[in-house]
Amino acid sequence: MKKAITMEVNGASCRVEVEPWRTLLDVVREELDLTGAKLGCDIQVCGACTLLVDGKPVSACSVLAVDADGRKVTTVEGLAEGDRLHPLQESFMKFGALQCGYCTSGFLLTAKAMLDENPHPDDEQIKSYMGGSFCRCGCYQEIMQALRSVARS
Amino acid sequence: MKHFEYLEPGTVDEACGLLKQYAGNARVFAGGSSLTILLKQGFLQPDALINIKKIDELRRIEESGEDLVIGSLVTHHDIEVSEVLARRLPVLCELEHDVANIRVRNMATVGGNIASGEPLTDLPCVFITLDATVRIANTSGGRTLALEEVFVDYYETQLQEDEVLTHVVIPPLPAHSAIDYVRFSSSSVVDKPCIGVAVRMTVDPDGGACREVRVGLGCVAPTPMRARNAEAALEGQPLNDDNLQKAARAAAEECDPMDDLRGSERYKREMVAALVRRLSSRVYDQARGGRS
Repeated sequence: MKKAITMEVNGASCRVEVEPWRTLLDVVREELDLTGAKLGCDIQVCGACTLLVDGKPVSACSVLAVDADGRKVTTVEGLAEGDRLHPLQESFMKFGALQCGYCTSGFLLTAKAMLDENPHPDDEQIKSYMGGSFCRCGCYQEIMQALRSVARS
Repeated sequence: MKHFEYLEPGTVDEACGLLKQYAGNARVFAGGSSLTILLKQGFLQPDALINIKKIDELRRIEESGEDLVIGSLVTHHDIEVSEVLARRLPVLCELEHDVANIRVRNMATVGGNIASGEPLTDLPCVFITLDATVRIANTSGGRTLALEEVFVDYYETQLQEDEVLTHVVIPPLPAHSAIDYVRFSSSSVVDKPCIGVAVRMTVDPDGGACREVRVGLGCVAPTPMRARNAEAALEGQPLNDDNLQKAARAAAEECDPMDDLRGSERYKREMVAALVRRLSSRVYDQARGGRS
C-alpha cells in the first residue's frame, strides 16, 4: 500500500515510502526529523504547519505527502545557509519577534515566500499576505517590525 | 484517516473511467484543501482518491473566442494574479485577496470550490451573476450545465459518481455593463464570509434603464442563488430610491439564511438588504460611467 515518492527537501533529493493517507507535515516531521513545522489547528487556519512547496506556502497538515511527489519542499531548517542565518531569522531575533516560538517557523517561511514574490512590500501588503498566520503569544508588533526591517533593506 | 487507494489518471477520460469503476466510493482529489479536512475528521471515507492534478489541460485560464474559460485546477491564487482576468474581469482578482489565507489560495481550486458544494464561498456567487456555465466530463460524453443548476443543497451538487467538473465558461459582458461583489465578514477577516452579494447590470445609454440585471447572493441559502425578485424590481427602469428599496427588500425576503456564529437569520436578511441596495447603486453608476 506504500507509495515511493521523491521530493527535493531543502535542496537535497529525498526518497521515502509513505502510505497515501499520511500528511506532508507528518512525513517531514516523523520520517525526515525536520520538526520546525508544528501541528496547530489542523484545518489550515493558523499557519503553524506552513511549508513551502515549489516556493509557495501551504498548510502541510492538509497536504497529502504523496501529493508532494516530484516537488521542492522548503522547511525552516532550509532557510539558513550553513551557519549563516537567513536575514528574516536575524531580524526576528533582533526585534524579539517571538515568545514561545511555536508559530515562528510558519511566519518565517510565509514571509520568505512573500519577499520572493515582492521584495519590498509596504505595511498593508505585509498584513494582507501574512494575515493567515496566527501568533497566540501576540507578538504581532514585533513581527511587523522584523518584517518591515527586511522589506526595507 | 481511513485507508484509501491513491490513483493518478493522466487524462479526464481515464479519471471518469476510474470513478465509474468505484461506483460512488471514490472522490476526485484536486487541491484537496477541504477534502483532506473532511477525510481527517472522518466525514468522508472513500475507498479511493482520484488525483486529477496530473491533467495539465485543466490548469489554464484562457480566452476562447469571446468567452473566458477557467480550468477546474486553476487555484484561487492563480485567479488573484491572472493578467487575463485583471484585464477582463478584475472583480475576480480583487475578491481573491480576501479569500481564506495565502496557503489555502495556493492549494484550493475553482473546481473544488464548486464541486464541494460548500455554501460559504465567494466565486460561485459571482460566477452565477455572469451567467457562467460549467463543462462536466463523464463516461458518456459529457454535458454542460448552467452553474446555478449545479448546486442542489448544502454540500450537494448535481455531479454524478462518474463525473469530473472540467471548466467554468464565462460569456463576455455586454457593452454598458458593470459587475461588482461585496464580501461581508462579521468576524475575523480570515473567516469564511458571512454574506456575499454580486450585482451585474447593463444600463441603457438612452434613458438609463437597467437591463439584464443579475443579483447573486452567497452564504445566505443552502446554495449560491440569484435573487430573481430583486432583479425583477430593477429590470427595465432607471434606478431610483423606490425600486432600489424594493429590490433590497425582495432580496432580504427571498434568501434563506441560517442562524449561526456569523449572525442571526434576521441580522443576515437586514445585511442582505443593505448590501444589495449599496451595491446596485454602485454598479448602476459604474455601468453608466461606461466602465464595463
